[in-house]
Amino acid sequence: MKTKKQKRQGDFQKIQLKVGKKKPKADNATNVNFRSKAIHLPEQLKHADSGPTTHRQLDIKDLLSKLHHINSNIKQGALVGLRELLSAQPTLIELHASAVLSEVAALFTDKDGSVRAAAVRLLRFIAQCISAERVAPFFPLLSAHLTCAMTHISEAIQEDALRVLDVLLEHYPGLLSQRHTVLLTNFLELISQKRKAGTGQDKSGKGGFALTISTNRSVTAQQWRLTVLLRLGSFLQAVVEERPLEEGVTSMIGLGMWAGEKGSVTSVDVSWEEHVFGKGRIQVFENSGAVPTPHSTYRLRPDSKAVAGMNKELCSAETVQGFAGTLVPLMLEIWVEAAGGDRVQTDSGHLLSAEAMALMFQILTILQLLRRLTPQRDQQDILDAWFRNSYLTDFKHHFMKNFPYGLLEVARHRKKADGKRIRQQQVATGTVAGGNVEPLALNVTLCQVMVTLSLRGQDHVEAEDADWLGTIRVFIRETLSNGGKLSSKHLAALLEVVWRMIVTQRSRVVTDDLLQAVYVQYQQRNLAVSVRTLLLHFFSQLYIQEHQNHPHIARSRILARWLASLPVQLVQLCSRNPQLSAQLLETIHPAAARGNKDLLQSLQKNACSIYDPQEGSVVVLPVESQKRLVQILHFLPTFPAELLACLSQVCNTGRVSASLATMLIRTIHLRSPLSGWSSSSQDVPVKDVDYLSFFFTTLTGFSSEMLQALQDTDEDGLMPSSTLSPLSVFTTTLEQFLHHWDVVEEVCHCLDTLGSRAQCFDVIQNAIIKNLCGLVVVPDCVCAAILRCVPRLLDVNFLPSDTLLHFLSDCCLSMLSLLLQLEQSARKRDAVWEACFAAMSTVPRLLRLVLQSLHVGDLCEEELPVLAQILSLLLQHTQLRNHMMANASLLQHIIQDLTHFYGGETREQWLTDLLYCYSVTLSGHRANMGMRDIY
Amino acid sequence: MSAPVEVVLSADSAGQLFNCAVFDPHSGSEFLSYRGGNTSSRSLTVLNGEYILGAQLGKNFINVWEIQRKDQLQQKIVCPGIVTCLCASPDGLYVLAGIAEAIYLWEMSTGNLLAILSRHYQDVSCIRFTDDSSHFVSGGKDNLALIWNLSSVVQLDSSRTPEPCHILSRHSLPITDIHCGLMGPQARVATASLDQTVKVWEVSSGEMLLSVLFDVGIMSVTFDPCEYFLFCGGSDGNIFQVSLCSTSLSRDKTFQTDSDGNQVFKGHRNLVTCLSVSMDGTLLLSGSNDETVRMWDVQSKQCIWSINHKGHVTNAVIIPAPANMFLADSHPAVPLPRFSRHLNPSEQGDGTGSGGMCLRLGASTQEREGTYLEKADELYSLMCAVTDKSVFGDGENTKVRVSELEEEVKTLKKINKDLYEFSTQLLTKPN
Repeated sequence: MKTKKQKRQGDFQKIQLKVGKKKPKADNATNVNFRSKAIHLPEQLKHADSGPTTHRQLDIKDLLSKLHHINSNIKQGALVGLRELLSAQPTLIELHASAVLSEVAALFTDKDGSVRAAAVRLLRFIAQCISAERVAPFFPLLSAHLTCAMTHISEAIQEDALRVLDVLLEHYPGLLSQRHTVLLTNFLELISQKRKAGTGQDKSGKGGFALTISTNRSVTAQQWRLTVLLRLGSFLQAVVEERPLEEGVTSMIGLGMWAGEKGSVTSVDVSWEEHVFGKGRIQVFENSGAVPTPHSTYRLRPDSKAVAGMNKELCSAETVQGFAGTLVPLMLEIWVEAAGGDRVQTDSGHLLSAEAMALMFQILTILQLLRRLTPQRDQQDILDAWFRNSYLTDFKHHFMKNFPYGLLEVARHRKKADGKRIRQQQVATGTVAGGNVEPLALNVTLCQVMVTLSLRGQDHVEAEDADWLGTIRVFIRETLSNGGKLSSKHLAALLEVVWRMIVTQRSRVVTDDLLQAVYVQYQQRNLAVSVRTLLLHFFSQLYIQEHQNHPHIARSRILARWLASLPVQLVQLCSRNPQLSAQLLETIHPAAARGNKDLLQSLQKNACSIYDPQEGSVVVLPVESQKRLVQILHFLPTFPAELLACLSQVCNTGRVSASLATMLIRTIHLRSPLSGWSSSSQDVPVKDVDYLSFFFTTLTGFSSEMLQALQDTDEDGLMPSSTLSPLSVFTTTLEQFLHHWDVVEEVCHCLDTLGSRAQCFDVIQNAIIKNLCGLVVVPDCVCAAILRCVPRLLDVNFLPSDTLLHFLSDCCLSMLSLLLQLEQSARKRDAVWEACFAAMSTVPRLLRLVLQSLHVGDLCEEELPVLAQILSLLLQHTQLRNHMMANASLLQHIIQDLTHFYGGETREQWLTDLLYCYSVTLSGHRANMGMRDIY
Repeated sequence: MSAPVEVVLSADSAGQLFNCAVFDPHSGSEFLSYRGGNTSSRSLTVLNGEYILGAQLGKNFINVWEIQRKDQLQQKIVCPGIVTCLCASPDGLYVLAGIAEAIYLWEMSTGNLLAILSRHYQDVSCIRFTDDSSHFVSGGKDNLALIWNLSSVVQLDSSRTPEPCHILSRHSLPITDIHCGLMGPQARVATASLDQTVKVWEVSSGEMLLSVLFDVGIMSVTFDPCEYFLFCGGSDGNIFQVSLCSTSLSRDKTFQTDSDGNQVFKGHRNLVTCLSVSMDGTLLLSGSNDETVRMWDVQSKQCIWSINHKGHVTNAVIIPAPANMFLADSHPAVPLPRFSRHLNPSEQGDGTGSGGMCLRLGASTQEREGTYLEKADELYSLMCAVTDKSVFGDGENTKVRVSELEEEVKTLKKINKDLYEFSTQLLTKPN
């Protein structure tokens, strides 16, 4: 029994569990030390040779069919696969565009977020590959699905619909903007809902929509509105930009207001030959089709109503008004909420969070875009007036209450000086959906919006607007004049505001105040080129365009000061930035032409530096600017002697082209009363003495100092004087010679047309005798110039003095021997020939003097051939033949001497030539005698 | 001798022999001369075929002669300043004078000063009317040329200052001369400038049609009446003839002489200040600062005659001979009124008004008339009707014409066939 008992005890023995000891494993415990693996079959086993496939061997049909699968993972996988397939085989897109696009578009409203995201990615990819015109046939479908998604009851789908919109806006703005009728209401419904007819009786004036606030969104209501408004803004931008440009308004931001209002005319080329026999009529448009006469019944350009179907509703002011009428109250409400309603105490109302600022900026941008929706100027004016009537009080109340705004983080008063820091902070913290917006951008845009509401010069309105316009004015003045640097974008916007205020307010005080601020900005050093150009453009357009219509602008002191500073800037700018110089000249030229006193005074003062022959603008700038500078000379009040000296050197240094130099000479000629063109004789721009000395200096091409310096040098280009060349000739380079030759031609022509030739020649003769006759070294171009001008200017009845003639004969002989001794270019040789022969044939005494000065006895052996060549040249010239005959005895004497002194045994070629020429020339009854005498 | 159809009227700056004189365009013999003072450039004008008006050089008055009383100065009109240019409208109703920067407009029937237009910034150098007196063009030393509509200028609307209908601002140096073509508001205007270009514009739209660049500044310009050629007087004494019917389509050209119409008349030695073409387009008159007036044959470019003056030629023009000119006992139909010197006659205080009434169009009362295009259409259909009748209307003619055309079609078909065979041969030739 005991054993039984023991056994029983053994069976039910209690195991003592102790702390720290492991619990023994139960016998029936399952061993889990195995691993399992699932078997995947992602790829089909079949080898599809029918077409390209993904790495899972799925072809496009499979993928498309999978898009209808109920499981969202499979749908997503199919979308990813499609993307892979299409990026590997871009040609497939074109083939299957219709199927792919329709399937993808259907997934915009899928209830699973990841599928939608994949669909958007795929759409983005496809959009990169297909051009807008290829998508156009499928676009109605796309936009229908987009609309569906935007108006979907699920908010997540609405959010993703905006992503789709982003893609379409990025790639197909033109197509999208045609759908504005539907899309605009969709936008409204995204942030608001239609009021019930019964509830809105008190606020019915504010339109039939109320802002919606939903609590179950993933983002705050404000952020949501911001994202919607961002899209709306870019959509409107697309609508504005895609519109074919109409005259009068360009879509350029900032400079839009300055653009000229003149329509461009495209010419129709008609070849008359084709129409000579044709019965078909040529369509002719009156007035080049540009501006219709008030009587004309038709317009060449169709009215805005008929613009190709698109935009047909958004062009007129009424439709924009209708849309704005619902949108603007909503935006005002958003503004109020963003600004914090009434809970924020008044002293810090101008400080905003970054998010609120972005929201406000968007609102203002949309307001601006709304205004630009109407293309025609008159429509724009209607719209402006409407905005003013409906919303001015609201805008004033809400927008201007806390203007100017600042950023909340920087809990200090808004100042330009720390604008940079604000920006840095924003870059660091900027995570808001709409990007971050500088307070400056917000304020500037606000100014732009508000200023468009101000009306053009009506006195009673002016007083009414004075308060808020005053605030804006103060802001602009401070922003511009506190020394900060502005980016060109902000500056362009600010300048637009300034322009508008100046034009509308018509007050001299305001004009001067604002222009002063702009001028302070202008005077800053180290401005970026784009900013500098912008400012310059602003001023010059202000001067050129508005000057006439607005006396208060014309009388502005700042504008006058700016104009007066232009010549100084031109001098300082030198050759550093030719574009900027060209722009300066573009203003200086019309201002000078209009006889602006301030500019002309300044120009007169700086004329010597501008027209400096060494580093003045006239020599360092490109040709176009040089031409303008020469043209500006026409308007210079007076030409003092120093300026004329500069100009004379400019003509001769060769740094301006010969044609420009002749233009310059003509200008001075015309400005002088001697030319007989300018009839008004009350003031004399060029004194006669100065005029003549200018022309003489230009004629010689060398100043007296240079000639003096030349006397003492011994350079290589110098030909020593000898019997055959009484003057030692300094040969100039061919380039210089030819340039000077062209100049001399023009000088001679101008002097030729002076009234009294005899007196003119007398003056020139005295000048030559006084300045040139004593010289030993003479440049060849001076010789040529003298030889050229004397016969042209000589009056028949005037007897030139002996001194002059002796000098001329020296010149003539020297030049002839120079030509024979040195290798010269053909043009130079021709020029000198022409000059010498013209001189000798017009003044017979000159020829005689030349012959007389040929003393054969003094020549050395080597010079004899040269002399012979000179003589034969003279003999060959037909015009000189009669004069040579007159000097026959002298000639005979020389030739006798020549044969006598030439002791060579054989008869050289040159001597034979000379004797032949001699005999031919003197052929006739004296020939025999002459020949007999020689031998 | 029968009275000539056209006469040459010229004046110089010296005025020793005469102030201005009338010559025969074919022989150059002098018919008449008018004495007293001298005339500044572009300021000699014939008013209504009854008076000659010429502004005194450097003085502030205008000399007036009755056209038949040659020797005797009739009266002097005193102006507010030195008159730089003067022009009477072809219908004889208005006189325009450029005085410094402003343009003064007088009405001839009353002598009232209707408007002072000060849109130029510098002296006005030239004023020209279109041939129907509806528009005028003014050019100044400020590089601008302005086209004005006369009726908008004379409108009695004191709130609004008159604006030019077009501003031509493409010249870069002072404008020296202007010439208006025929055809009223549809005319073309040529402007010459010291910037070495001549530009042709359309009056109605203000668009530039052509710009020709020369080597020298241009002092004077004119068209022939058919506008085949443009004549430009250069500052070097050459006269350039530019063909306007060349086929090149570019708007900017550089002048160079060639065989088809671009030619140079050489002869003057100084600025060519005035140019004028006779009614039939065969004679070209030129006056120059070298103190000669020359008559040229346009076709051969030969100088027919030249007359020496005693000073710079300031005006030389070929005009249709006024009827009164050679009738010594004729009288002007209307006596010349006193020219008022102030805009508003009531301010003057002299109550001796002529009793006349000033008629001006109100701003809104202008009636709409048919556009010029409509008129042109009408004219065209009229012309077409005539040609249709003469060419196609007659039965006999039509038959002949049809048979001719059939003949031609036959030949063309044959040529076409030959060409086809030839080319097939060429293509199918084995090689």
